[in-house]
Amino acid sequence: MINLPYYPGCTLKQRSSHLESSAIAAMEKLGVRLSEIDPWTCCGAVPPPSSERIMNLIAPVRMLRALRDSGENRLVTICDFCYNVLKRANHSMRTDDLRRKRVNAFLRENEPVRDYLPEEEPYGLPDYSGEVRVYHLMEYIRDEIGYERLSKEVSGRLEGMPIASYYGCVMLRPRKEIELDDPENPTIMEAFVSALHATPVPYPYRTECCGSYLSVSAPDASSRLAAKILGSARDHGAKGVVVSCPLCFYNLESRQEQIARSSPGFKPMPVIFFTQLLAIALGIDDPDVLGFGMHRTSLEGLLGASAIGAASGSGREKDR
Amino acid sequence: MKRVGVFVCHCGINIAGTVDVERVVEVLREDPRIAYATNYIYMCSDPGQDMVADAIREQELDAVVIAACSPTLHETTFRNVSATAGINPYMCEIANIREQCSWVHTDVDRATDKAIRIIRSIVEKVHGNEALEPIPVPVTRRAMVIGGGVGGIQAALDIANAGLEVILVEREPSIGGHMAQLSETFPTLDCSQCILTPKMVEVSKHPNVRLMTYSEVEDVSGYVGNFHVRIRRHAPSVNWSTCTGCGDCMEKCPSKVPSEFDRGLTERGAIYVPFPQAVPNKPVIDRDACIYYRTGKCRLCEKVCQIGAIVFDQRDEIVEEDVGAIIVATGYDTLPCADLGEYGSGEVPDVIDGLAFERLLSASGPTTGKVRRPSDGKTPKEVVFVQCAGSRDPERYKAYCSKICCMYTAKHALLYKHRVHDGQPYIFYIDVRTGGKGYEEFYHRTEEEEGVVYLRGKVSKIFRDGDKSVVWGTDTLTGRNIEIRADLVVLATAIVSQPGVQDLVRKLKIQVDKDGFLSEAHPKLRPVESITTGFYLAGCAQGPKDIPETVAQASGAASKVIGLLANDEMQHDPTVAYVDEDLCGACRICISVCPYDAREFDEEKGVATVNEALCEGCGACVAACGCGATQQRNLTDGQIREMISASLGEA
Repeated sequence: MINLPYYPGCTLKQRSSHLESSAIAAMEKLGVRLSEIDPWTCCGAVPPPSSERIMNLIAPVRMLRALRDSGENRLVTICDFCYNVLKRANHSMRTDDLRRKRVNAFLRENEPVRDYLPEEEPYGLPDYSGEVRVYHLMEYIRDEIGYERLSKEVSGRLEGMPIASYYGCVMLRPRKEIELDDPENPTIMEAFVSALHATPVPYPYRTECCGSYLSVSAPDASSRLAAKILGSARDHGAKGVVVSCPLCFYNLESRQEQIARSSPGFKPMPVIFFTQLLAIALGIDDPDVLGFGMHRTSLEGLLGASAIGAASGSGREKDR
Repeated sequence: MKRVGVFVCHCGINIAGTVDVERVVEVLREDPRIAYATNYIYMCSDPGQDMVADAIREQELDAVVIAACSPTLHETTFRNVSATAGINPYMCEIANIREQCSWVHTDVDRATDKAIRIIRSIVEKVHGNEALEPIPVPVTRRAMVIGGGVGGIQAALDIANAGLEVILVEREPSIGGHMAQLSETFPTLDCSQCILTPKMVEVSKHPNVRLMTYSEVEDVSGYVGNFHVRIRRHAPSVNWSTCTGCGDCMEKCPSKVPSEFDRGLTERGAIYVPFPQAVPNKPVIDRDACIYYRTGKCRLCEKVCQIGAIVFDQRDEIVEEDVGAIIVATGYDTLPCADLGEYGSGEVPDVIDGLAFERLLSASGPTTGKVRRPSDGKTPKEVVFVQCAGSRDPERYKAYCSKICCMYTAKHALLYKHRVHDGQPYIFYIDVRTGGKGYEEFYHRTEEEEGVVYLRGKVSKIFRDGDKSVVWGTDTLTGRNIEIRADLVVLATAIVSQPGVQDLVRKLKIQVDKDGFLSEAHPKLRPVESITTGFYLAGCAQGPKDIPETVAQASGAASKVIGLLANDEMQHDPTVAYVDEDLCGACRICISVCPYDAREFDEEKGVATVNEALCEGCGACVAACGCGATQQRNLTDGQIREMISASLGEA
């Protein structure tokens, strides 16, 4: 069993707990134990627009630095926002001398923040300069487990199932810092779906915006975008949409009732996390693990009534 | 002691605005090392030059110092003036008090003090100068042109017509370059083939031109006037002297690969000529595509060739030549559609680039000039043209403007409209740039008379839906998003440097800019010369440009070459390194530091020597020499010491 340091983030402990539970169980089946780093703090959540960008680096770098000092050189995360924040903070530590010095100086207690670059380390451990590799779980599966091996490990439960991938924004952008895939024409999710023996469905809206936080400030605008994405996936023959981002999940899945109210002709569309799909493909049907109870839109159209029935027995937060 | 005169230039207010030139002259007149000092508002002007010449004669000066701008501007001017007035030109030196003083300071007192010190230091240099004569270097009166596109052809013809021999080297099996692929050319719409193919024939038949197609430069040694080049002539696997070009072999070849000339719209055999009007019109075997070379079986071409011209075991040949000057005209490539993820990564069949559309428009193209889309051969009724596909996008692709796309896209839309009367062309643009004679008028004609819809905005995404290529864009003039369900999309992909150019510039030891285009010696005043002497640039290898500009630059480069090769010998600057043989310790450090291969070792005498023709006077060996045996003429260690003392002394 491989022990892999894992950063959960806030959403996976609350609204998207099924993303975490399915991931942990599925990875266990693949011989990888996701072991939560301790302690962990908020990652910073939203990449701030400020050009100064020092304060928002403190939290992620503190965790990465502690991880390095404990002898680890890998960290996996699942939430797209956490991934974006951690990976970009790490990239900044690798490439930006001034920020690296200032953040490290800040983290070294009792040492003032300086604008200049000290020529040598005054004391203590060396500066954190991005030694840890930050993985998205999907990236870890692609690069370290490999789709070839994955396709041999999974059962045929998803054989031929037409599934559309939805990428969202922050998993791939900005390209030069994230370097996961081509943000304009990505393939990583379709390849993942193929590796699970399901059939990826190409459709034009797979990289369009889901509305992000507009679902708070301008819910109708967000609904219109979501309706287009889900409608386009349906028109191209998909029976379900797979996502990795909790906010995409919220906008595309949890708000389908509102979407239906503002978009006449909208039909419900099953939306599922990639980890849930992976867990199903690996033969997991424990309802607590799959967490179908967290879904507000029925998965029946995708998985069939029997599979849902078996797995949704005790949805923990069905009535939340 | 020499009688030295100093001439202080005001350069209008460029120098006089910051340096108190009157005070400079007053102070210098008191200097015992200076016999004469004066100032003038524009020393480089005719009266200024006369002032210098008259003073040399009247004051019986032995040497002059011109305190003015950088020596790169007017050193030659004033050395010529000195020579006319009867002193050795190397007794004239420039003290740079503009770029190195007035332009970079604001405090008048301190700038004036610094100007005096600069001048005094140069006065000391000139006191130590000796009279020199230029070094005559023999010149090989032949030229080589690399690249057989329209630029290379023009340059070769101009040189050949001046009575000089030219070697024209082309990597592909035929000359013609990208221009041979084009349909009609803006803004006059003359047929590209009709104006190019006669030139191709002319250059191939010219008695002074040696055409080497399917050949590449292997390496270049030597220096301006005396280059030695090795050229690899790839084996065509066909005996070109017996081949009649009948074409039977090409017809029978069972191997099929995408035709580069037709941008993948058609296929060619492994044995092929790129296009029917190719020069020379002789086939080559593409060994990567040939079934025989891959499997050892087939040899069908050999069976059908009635004269037995197929030679499977033919080998590459290395040809060695001496030339005096080299023109690099290696042309351009376009950004591959596969790099543009948002436009379908080159996987949408009806999204093509501009060169492919040229083939569709061309009378000699795969559709004989009828506009048909690649996917199903139907006539496209709605065509979207996307400008700046990869250009003007510093974040993701190329920061620069590819320059020719606005015009060729307007031409594409117009020609399309002429062929498909009920079709609708749309053009997405950022700005329309039409600098050039008759270009703006052509654009207006396209927009106003031909019914082409111009949409100001970028295209965000192109994808396939059924048999349509859906284009999502925005019109920034109305602020609306636009969706066009197009039958065909043409991308004006960025002009990029040839992928092979990095390899070539390493062999030639010439420079490229950050985008891989060849660097010119001066962006305004020496646009056709490379920084390395003896190399000249023409066409898109130096940067994106259209046909008229390419031809003009090629003729410019050719005239430079003709000038260089006009005489049997050329004059080399004599301020080169020399060796005091008594001091040389034979350590050979000089040989290892010389970037020009100018330092050699005389085994008989056991000392290092200088090849004066190769020495550029950079001073690297002078600095490296541990014994002080190597010195530079008119910049000896002794002179430098005096110059330092002068600049540090009382002002």
